[in-house]
Amino acid sequence: MNEHKFEFDPKQYGLPDLEQIKEYRVWDSHYHGYLTSGDPISYNDKMLKYVHRMGIERVISVDIGGTLPRPLEPKPYDDEKRKFLEENTDYFSGIIPIDPGFPEESVQKMVDWIENGPCIGIKYVGGNQLGITCDHPNNDMIIEKAIELDAVVYIHTWIKTGGEPRHIGGANLSGESLPWHVTKLAERFPDKILICGHAGGDWELGIRAIRSSENVFMEFAGADPQSGGVDMAVNELGADRIVWGGHGPSRSFATELAKVLEADLTDEERMKIFGRNYRKLAKPIFDKKGIKIKV
Amino acid sequence: MKNKLNRRDFCQQTLFSSIALALPGTTQALGKFARAPMKPKEGPQIVDTFVHLFEWPFRKLKYSGTEPLVQKLKKHQIREAWAGNFEALFHKDIDGTNRRLMEECRRYDPDFLKPIGSVNPTWPDWEEDLRRCHEEYHMAGIRVHPDYQMIDLASTEFRSLVEKAAERNMFVQIAGDLEDPRHHHPLVNTRNHSFEPIVDVARAVPQARIQLVHWNRKVRADLLSRLVELPNIVFDSSRIEGAGELGALMNGESWYGPRESIPADRFLFGSHAPFFAVESALLKLFEHYMTVGQLEQVMYKNANGFYNV
Repeated sequence: MNEHKFEFDPKQYGLPDLEQIKEYRVWDSHYHGYLTSGDPISYNDKMLKYVHRMGIERVISVDIGGTLPRPLEPKPYDDEKRKFLEENTDYFSGIIPIDPGFPEESVQKMVDWIENGPCIGIKYVGGNQLGITCDHPNNDMIIEKAIELDAVVYIHTWIKTGGEPRHIGGANLSGESLPWHVTKLAERFPDKILICGHAGGDWELGIRAIRSSENVFMEFAGADPQSGGVDMAVNELGADRIVWGGHGPSRSFATELAKVLEADLTDEERMKIFGRNYRKLAKPIFDKKGIKIKV
Repeated sequence: MKNKLNRRDFCQQTLFSSIALALPGTTQALGKFARAPMKPKEGPQIVDTFVHLFEWPFRKLKYSGTEPLVQKLKKHQIREAWAGNFEALFHKDIDGTNRRLMEECRRYDPDFLKPIGSVNPTWPDWEEDLRRCHEEYHMAGIRVHPDYQMIDLASTEFRSLVEKAAERNMFVQIAGDLEDPRHHHPLVNTRNHSFEPIVDVARAVPQARIQLVHWNRKVRADLLSRLVELPNIVFDSSRIEGAGELGALMNGESWYGPRESIPADRFLFGSHAPFFAVESALLKLFEHYMTVGQLEQVMYKNANGFYNV
C-alpha cells in the first residue's frame, strides 16, 4: 500500500483532506487492531497503516489482556502488547476488557494492567460467561476501583431486535448490556463518567435511553453510517457528551468519520466529538502516568 | 466523460513550456520542478449506482426529499444517480411505485436521476411490470429486494425474471438488505434469503447483467470468490466494510474477503443515500491507496459500461 498518497484531492469531493483531519485531532476510543483471532500482533501492524493514512492522532486499543470472550485468561501475546503500549505512549493507549461475572478477578486485572501497568481504563464487552450485565451489583467494586484509578469506563451496549415475540433487546447476548443498564449503573456512581458504547447500535433508542443521565457519555462506533445519527445525538445530549470510535478493522474509518462529517456541526463541535471530550475525560489518568497530553 | 486537463496542470504545463521555449537551455533545470512531488490531481465526477427516492417508512431521513438529496449528491461531485424507490419494498401496487419514480426523475432532472424500477416475480402479472419498466418508463434496469419482497433467488420465478430482463437488455440489481437486521422495528421480520443461488442464475443466463448492491452481509469470502468468477456480475461499494476494504479487495489485502485480488472493473460506486451518509462511500475511495485507473473505474467508468450496453 502506498501509505500516504491520495491521487485525487478529497476536498474536491466535499471531504476534509489529511491535514484537515489531523487538525480535528481524532482520538479513536474503540480500536480493535489487536484482533483476538489469529495473530493479533500482525493484525495491529496492518491496521496501524490505515490509522496513519487517515490522520488519526491516537488510538485506544480495547483488546488488551486475554480475549474478548475470555478477558481474564492471560494469553501468549499479552506481554508483547504491554511492551508496545509502554513504548508507544505518544499515539497508542489501551483499555482492558473485564468480566463482571468475576469482579475480584477483574479488579486484580485492573491492578495489573492499569495501576501497575500502561492501560488507562476498562471495557465491558458484548456478553459474558455468567450473563451479568453492567447494572448488576457485582459491578460496584469494579467501578469503585475505576474511580480510585481515574480509569476510563467503556461499556459495550447494543439493542438487538429479536426474541419471541420480537422486541427491542430480544436478541442480545447473555450479559450484553443495554443502554438502560448503563443508566442504572450511572445512578449509583453520579460522579463517574461512563461511556455508553455503540450508542446501543440502534441510535434512535440508545440516545433517548441515556439522555437524562448526565454522567453517561455516548460513543457510536460499530454500526452502519446511517444519516442523521450524530445530529440527533448532539440535539439530545449536546456535543460535550459524545466521543468517537473507529472500530477498525471491522469498520472502516470512512464509515465512522462520515457520521460526524455528515452532521450539521461547527468545527468546534466536531473537535469535541472527534477527541477533545475523550481527552478531558482521560487527562487525569494520563497525568498520573506522566504522559503529557494537550486537551 | 471527457478527460479534462485541470487548471493546475494546465498552468504548470503551459508555463514550463513557454519558459522553455523562450529561454533555451532551461529545459533541464525546469524538468526538476516538473518531476517534483505532485499535489493530488483533479478527479472525475462520480456515478452513484445505489440511491433511493421517496420515504423510508421508519424514519424521516435527513435528505429524504428529491431536491435536498440531489443537492447533497451534487455537492459531493456526483453527476448521476441510479435511483430506486423505497416504496417498492412495501407496496403491493409496484407499478404505481415505478411510475411515480419515473415521473419524479423526469420532473426533477432526467440527466441526473436514472430511475431503476422494481419487479416482484412472485406476484401476479409481473411480466407486465417488467414490460412497463422497459417500454413505458424507459428504465435501463430493475432493482429487487429479496429479503423485503420475499423472493427466493433459487426459484424458477426469479430465474425467469433475470432471463426476461436480459432479453430486454435490462440489468438487474439485487439488494442484500437496506438496514442492519439487528435494528429492525420489531414488527418487521424480513426473510433472510441466501445469495448462493445467484451463482447458478448468472451462469445459466450468461447474457444477464447483474449488480449486487449493499450485498456484504449476504456474501462471505468463499461465495464472493465464486461470484467474481462470473463475468456478468458486478458489485456496488455502499457496504463494503472494514479498514480500507474497498482498495484492499482490489489488492489482495482484504480483512474478510478472498485472498486473491478482485479487479477494479468489478466495483461500482454506491452510496446508499439518503439512508447512509454519502461521505462514507466517498471516504472509502481514499482509505486505501488506489491508482488513478482503479479510482476512475469505480467512480464512473464501470458504471458507464454497465449502464450503456
